[in-house]
Amino acid sequence: MLEKETGSPPPSAGTAVVGPAEATAPVAAHRQARGPRRGRARRRPLAERLAPYVLVAPAVLVIAGLRLYPLALGVNFSFTGDGDRNGQAVGWDNYAILFDDPLFTESMRNVGLLVLLLPVAVLIPGLLATFIYLRVPGHRVYRSVYFFPAVLSPVIIGAIFNLLLAFDGPANALLGAVGLGPVDWLGDPGVAIYAVVAVHVWATFGMALVVFLAGFATLDASLIDAARVDGASLPRVIRHVIVPGLSRTIQFVVVTTMIGMLTSMFGLIYVMTGGGPEGSTYLPEYYIWFQQGQMSRPALASAASTVLFCVMLAVGLLQLAILRRSGRED
Amino acid sequence: MAPVRAGRWLVAVPMAALAIATIYPLVFTANVAMKTRHEYVLDRFSPAEALRWDAFATAWGSADMGRYLTNSLIVVTGSVALLLLFGSMAGFALSQLRFRGSRALFLGCLAALFIPFQVIMVPLARTMGQTGLIDTYPGLILAYVAQFLPFTVFLMTSYYSGIPAEIIDAARIDGNSTYGVYGRIMLPLGRPALLSVGILNALFCWNDVLIALLMMPSAEHRTLMVGVTSLRGQYSADIPTFAGGVLIAAVPVLVLYLFFQRQIASGVTAGSTKG
Repeated sequence: MLEKETGSPPPSAGTAVVGPAEATAPVAAHRQARGPRRGRARRRPLAERLAPYVLVAPAVLVIAGLRLYPLALGVNFSFTGDGDRNGQAVGWDNYAILFDDPLFTESMRNVGLLVLLLPVAVLIPGLLATFIYLRVPGHRVYRSVYFFPAVLSPVIIGAIFNLLLAFDGPANALLGAVGLGPVDWLGDPGVAIYAVVAVHVWATFGMALVVFLAGFATLDASLIDAARVDGASLPRVIRHVIVPGLSRTIQFVVVTTMIGMLTSMFGLIYVMTGGGPEGSTYLPEYYIWFQQGQMSRPALASAASTVLFCVMLAVGLLQLAILRRSGRED
Repeated sequence: MAPVRAGRWLVAVPMAALAIATIYPLVFTANVAMKTRHEYVLDRFSPAEALRWDAFATAWGSADMGRYLTNSLIVVTGSVALLLLFGSMAGFALSQLRFRGSRALFLGCLAALFIPFQVIMVPLARTMGQTGLIDTYPGLILAYVAQFLPFTVFLMTSYYSGIPAEIIDAARIDGNSTYGVYGRIMLPLGRPALLSVGILNALFCWNDVLIALLMMPSAEHRTLMVGVTSLRGQYSADIPTFAGGVLIAAVPVLVLYLFFQRQIASGVTAGSTKG
């Protein structure tokens, strides 16, 4: 309690902590009788007591005002009407319209597809990270190369792949060389969504790879060495040593990859397909933007936002539950 | 740790192929940008006959990319400066100062981390419209700050909580107020984290297109990425110029990556080992 003598109490002695020591201090007791504020805090100048609040104020105001409040506002807004019925309460009408809209149901189907493809998007960087960790020849270079597309804007990646996946572009030329194709990558409604998702995975697997490598750095290398000395094959080492050791990293990658798929493909869709052909590459985020910006139906867009939020919440909680359970079994 | 030699090379071949597949799209685009339109139509793959920079010059001049670049620089600089200031202030208070409600505020920030922009973009755009902030630099900067602040606060808080309390106590005994501790101790000590978070935030803001499209509707306020999206329509018959414009927009990121790859990676992974 050196600070008492110096008259400059530590931050930990803020107003929230009033221990028995203060009650016995005569000065503090005197102050306590005079004012509503108790204890040592009185001895600190007002500016010092307010300092923590001043420091967090800008961040709290911005986050509360421009993120948490809009969430409530949006949910509320989704129960009002658009156009003629602007501002009127319309109950669940927007949600009914939403689920009648083939574009929206298509976008939800695509969300389902993304969830199904999620294991692939996690497995690829996971395996590559394992090989890099096991020092495959050239492992030093791979990390830098694979990570690079992850820092490029989806807009730039989309523009580049517009060239590569053009009907007369390199992708089809490559297929033609082995006697296949051509495929209308971005023009065929049955193909376009897979093309866009594949480009997204190509662009972002480096991000997950780097996270996996950071996880490997925390892994006990002697465990793997011991398993190898005992003659365990690589698949067995992965199954019994690496996966259990990285459960927390895997959890992180699964959740962030899912969030990435649901919320950061706008740029790709906007540049590569514009939601087409025939609305086959719509995702909820694109639908929200389309209804808000192009169709001037913000209340309907808000309803779609609310649905997206619920989907993300549900998927996130489900994944956590599954991963927890499988983690316990190991 | 010595897998069978043959096995190692067996894996190395597809991995090298993947590395080439990762780089090739950029090389292809650069090659296209060096070609004339005639060359491009004749053969897409052959190496350009000469190093020609016309496509870059045309894209820069006639597509107004200089203006878009300026807009992006203004917005990114403003956003990153505010993010680092607010993030380090809040991170210091939440990690090292004890005060009523600090736990709740931290949890609030954490919750905000999981609210995607798509979910709040409609009400946010309305609020910005009502306050006259839409289509202004401060409006877009504020939108970026709101978007990336929870992440910044989270990272700065976890970085600052690793700083021993004795350092702060010592600074106080030397007569520093809380603000003095922030300015003289926490800001200098936080430099590695601030650099990493700053570069990551700069990338996020620079690469964004959705928020910029929503908040900056008018053509003269386009950021570089929004400008790139309009290139395609502008140069649908002149692919080399299109490729040149795309590459101009990619160069700043490439430079940033070459210099700060480590910081970017550490920012990306910061949440994974502690979360």
